Amino acid sequence: MREIRLSNVKKSFKGEVILEGLNLTIPSGEFFALLGPSGSGKTTLLRLIAGFESVDTGSIFIGNKNITNVPINKRRVNTVFQNYALFPHFNVFDNVAYSLKIRGLKKDVIEQKVIKILKSVHLEKQIYKSIHQLSGGQQQRVALARAVINEPDVLLLDEPLAALDLKLREKMLVELIDLQDVLKTTFIYVTHDQFEALTVADRMAIMNSEGEIEQVGTPEDIYEFPRTSFVAKFVGTTNLLKGILRAEDNKTFVEIENLGKFEALLPKNKKWVCNGCNILMSLRPEKIEISKTPLTGFSNCLEGQVDSIVYHGRSTQYYVKLKNGFLLHVFEQNEEHFPQEEIDYDDKVYMYWQKENVVLLEK
Amino acid sequence: MRSENLKTVFKQDRPFFLAIPAILWPAIFLYIPLVFLVGISFLKSFDYSVFDYSVIDALTFNNYRLLFSFTYVKILFRSFYLAFFTGFFCLLISYPIAYFLALRVGRFKNLLLFFLVLPFWTNFIVQVYAWFYILDVKGVLNTVFLKLGIISEPLHILYTPTAIYIVMLFCYLPFMVMPIYTSLSKIEKDTLEASDDLGAKPWQTLLYVTWPLSLSGVVTGFFLVYIPSFGEFVIPTLLGGGKIMFVGSLISYFFLDTKNIFLGAAFTCVSGLFLIISALLIFWIFRRYAKKVGGIYEK
Repeated sequence: MREIRLSNVKKSFKGEVILEGLNLTIPSGEFFALLGPSGSGKTTLLRLIAGFESVDTGSIFIGNKNITNVPINKRRVNTVFQNYALFPHFNVFDNVAYSLKIRGLKKDVIEQKVIKILKSVHLEKQIYKSIHQLSGGQQQRVALARAVINEPDVLLLDEPLAALDLKLREKMLVELIDLQDVLKTTFIYVTHDQFEALTVADRMAIMNSEGEIEQVGTPEDIYEFPRTSFVAKFVGTTNLLKGILRAEDNKTFVEIENLGKFEALLPKNKKWVCNGCNILMSLRPEKIEISKTPLTGFSNCLEGQVDSIVYHGRSTQYYVKLKNGFLLHVFEQNEEHFPQEEIDYDDKVYMYWQKENVVLLEK
Repeated sequence: MRSENLKTVFKQDRPFFLAIPAILWPAIFLYIPLVFLVGISFLKSFDYSVFDYSVIDALTFNNYRLLFSFTYVKILFRSFYLAFFTGFFCLLISYPIAYFLALRVGRFKNLLLFFLVLPFWTNFIVQVYAWFYILDVKGVLNTVFLKLGIISEPLHILYTPTAIYIVMLFCYLPFMVMPIYTSLSKIEKDTLEASDDLGAKPWQTLLYVTWPLSLSGVVTGFFLVYIPSFGEFVIPTLLGGGKIMFVGSLISYFFLDTKNIFLGAAFTCVSGLFLIISALLIFWIFRRYAKKVGGIYEK
C-alpha cells in the first residue's frame, strides 16, 4: 500500500503560520478531495506533497518511504496546475513526452506511450498541434496526460477546472473520475468548490480558514453528518439554530428560545453532550417539508411567514420568518407543473421535519 | 466652417496629421540623406558651388572598384569580428546575470537593476574615458593586480586591441542583459515548476525550458549589441589609440581627413550592406536553431 501520510506538518511563510500540527492519511488508490475556503492552506498542503515547498517541521510519507527531504524531481508525484503550465514552446506530443524524454526512454517506447495516453484523453487528433491552437478543455487534457504518463504514485490536481465553463467542467469531472478508475492512481484534488469535491471524491477532507482539518470522510458522511458547524455551513447550506439540549422521558429535545422544543437524536460518543448544554441544531433546507395546511407523521413542526421566494427552475427556495425572527431556509423540489397548493409571499406556512434528519453540533 | 473641419479631423479615431512629424522627421534627416549618400557614391566629383547637370555624365563605379582592395576588405572583416566577438561574449556574461536577476534574486532585485542601468546616466564618452584610469599602466587594474601579486610587472593594455575588446564588452553589456532579463521574467513560474515536477534536474529545466523560452530576448540582445558594435567609432579610436582602423574610423577618415566624400559614401554603402547581409545571415542561422529547440512558436 502506498498511502500518503502527513505527520505533524508545520509550514509558515515569512513568520505567518499557514499549517500547524497537521496530520492526514490519504489511502492509496483513492480519489481524495481537499476542500476549503480560499486561504485555508490547501494549495500549500498540495505544494508540500509535490515538493515545491519544504516543511518547517514534520514529515511526509508515501507508503513506508519518508519523502520529506526527497527533492521534487525524484518524487513519484505529479501535478496538474491550475493554469495548466504547459510548455508553450512544445507541441502536444512534446509536452506529454517531456518526463519520458527526461528519463531517457527509447524513442519508439515514448511514442507508443504518448499516443496511448493521448487516446485515453481523446486528443489523438491534436498530437502535433501547438498548445496555442487548443481550447481550454483540450489544454486541460494535455496537462492531465502529461502528469499521468509517468505513472506517478500520486496525482495532485490544483483547482484544475477553475478556468473552464460550467458545462465543460461537469464533463471533465466525469472524465476525471473515469480516468482515476482506470489508472487507480491516488488523486488529490484541491478545490474550494463543494460541488466539484462532492462529485469526484471517494473521500474528502474539509479545511477551515486556519489551515486545520475539520473533518475527513466520504461525501455522504461530510454532507449528512458534519461534525462541526464550520463543515455544516461550508458544505452545502444549512440552518443553524442555537438551542439548549434537554433530556426528558428517554427522549432528546432541543429547546430554542421563543420557538419551542424540538425532538432530535442524541449524538453518540460526544464529550460535549450534557443536559442543559448550549448546542447548535443544523437543519438542511431540503430536509424540511413546507405546507400551507397542517400535515401529520412528522416529529417536528414550526410555523412561520414566507419572507421571500427564489425560483431556480428545478427547485424553489423559501425564506420563512420564524417567531423569533430567524429566517429559515427551505428548499422544495418542483415535482409538478402545477403544484397542488401555491405558496406565495407573506403566506402563513407550516414546516415539518423528522428527528433523524437533524444534526446536533457543539456550540 | 474651418473650425467645423478641424472638429471632424479630430473626431477621427486616428487623425492622420498627428503622424506627419513622425513621417517627416526620418524622411528629412534619414531617408533623403541616405538617397544622397547612395547617389554621391556613384559620382566622380561634385562641385558644391554650382549644381551642374553634367554630373549625370560623371556617373561611375570607380569608387566601388577602388574599395576592392585587401586593406578595406580587411577592415570590414575586422569590424565584423569585433561586433560578433562583442555580441557573443556579452551573451556569455549577460545570460547568468539576467538569469539570477530574473529568477533567483528576490529582495534586492530592484536595487541590482538600478545598478545595471546606472551607466546610462553617464555620457558614453565619459564612460569610455573612465576606462583610461582603469587600464592605464599606473591605473586601478595594474595597481590592484600588483598589490595582490597576481602580476609582477604592469600590464600594457591601453592602446591595444585587448583594451578595445574589454571596454566594448562592458559598455554594451546592459543592452544584452535587459532584453534577456525581460524575456526570462515573462516565463511563468508554473512552467518551470512543471518541469521540476516532471522529473527534470535543474540543468535540464534550464536547457529544455528556460533557455528556449528566453531565446527571443537573446536574439534581441544580440542584435542590440551586434549592430552598433559594427560601426562603433568612439571606443576603437580612443582606446586603440587610433592605430587600428575599423569601419567607423575609416568612414570618419574618408569624410573628415581626406575629404573624399565619394569614396566615403561608397564605403558607407558597402559596409551598410555588409552589416545587413551579415545580420540577416546570423538571424537565419539563429532562427533555424530556435525552431529546432522550440524557441520560436506560433502564438
